[in-house]
Amino acid sequence: MKVGQLLSRATGIKPKYRCLLMKRMFLSLRWVLAMLVVSAPAHAQTPIFEIYIRQHLFVPAELTIPAGKKVKLMIINEDDTPEEFESFELNREKVIMGKSTGAVFIGPLKAGEYPYFGEFNPRTAQGKIIAE
Amino acid sequence: MISSVIIILQEVLEAMLLISILMASSSAIGLNQKWLPAALLTGLAGAVVYALFFERVSMMFEGFGQEYFYSAMMLGIAILLGIWNLCLVYFIRRKGLLLPRPLLLGLLLMTVSLAMMHEGAEIYLYGYAYGVAANSIGTIFSGGAIGAGIGISVGTFIYYGLRALQPINCLRVGSVVLTLVSAGMILQASLRLTQADVLPAQMPLWDSSFLISENSIVGELFYALLGYEATPTPLQVMIYGSSLFLMIMLMVLVHRTAGKRESQ
Repeated sequence: MKVGQLLSRATGIKPKYRCLLMKRMFLSLRWVLAMLVVSAPAHAQTPIFEIYIRQHLFVPAELTIPAGKKVKLMIINEDDTPEEFESFELNREKVIMGKSTGAVFIGPLKAGEYPYFGEFNPRTAQGKIIAE
Repeated sequence: MISSVIIILQEVLEAMLLISILMASSSAIGLNQKWLPAALLTGLAGAVVYALFFERVSMMFEGFGQEYFYSAMMLGIAILLGIWNLCLVYFIRRKGLLLPRPLLLGLLLMTVSLAMMHEGAEIYLYGYAYGVAANSIGTIFSGGAIGAGIGISVGTFIYYGLRALQPINCLRVGSVVLTLVSAGMILQASLRLTQADVLPAQMPLWDSSFLISENSIVGELFYALLGYEATPTPLQVMIYGSSLFLMIMLMVLVHRTAGKRESQ
């Protein structure tokens, strides 16, 4: 039995239509590829924001970011001590060692306020992300 | 002082929940507890090693090593707990062991060491790396001792509570809790992968923080038990749901096949 016959038996599609179907599939594949190429630069455009940790404080304590958009937060710890960036509202948690930088992606967020804190110094290390 | 009590308590409580259930269920299926000291020791050693390399681990994967390692550990623990859970289901039905005894002991050893390694590394990072640099080792130590004391007491309480039940009910309760805990762990792993932009970012599907805030005591309890998130994304809900579904399907399968062999 030929491969074509096997295929039409297995799929229940006649060869003539199968050809058309394949062509369609190929075309849609090209579409998907094109979309991927188009969306790649969009990925690179993720806005980057910086927050500093200085003497167990977050600077700036309030940071405004665009709502509805994924954002990369760079958390730069200038202290000698490690700190844990934590936020229940943002669902984020990351330890940033002393004198080092850690990144977290946040969002897309609805407009509103999202508090965060440093788990190792929860009384002083408090901050807020404002999405608008 | 209060913050060190809370931090240590959280970590110890999460580990103790697992350890007490594993201890109670393993003795209910007739294993002795000789695996425990070895598991605690390897877990502690693992925690110290992980904490020492923590900075280097963090720098891996373009600065997202923490997220990768955390997710891998959580997934590993969830899979091991899943296998253990199936052994419990098998025992409930057939009163026999699904896997040979040494394998079961190895499974317990690996699960507890991995859990200890993860929680222990966080305690070490806080207590040692932070405590020494911030010159507050004394406060952290006393606060931590209180936190650890409470956590271990709660764990002991859970253990004896489970042991007080009939063995079969102890296994049933343990199996249900482990199913939920492991789905919660997979959910937490997916959260960290979203944080590292490995999984796609999405708008949350709902916000239940007005009902149960993650910040509250009930929220923390739900977090440890179910992996509770107040604002999950559609993907996270899907991941949680499918891991629960998969686990339950496997449990039903083991339950059925165990029953079939019995009737032959």
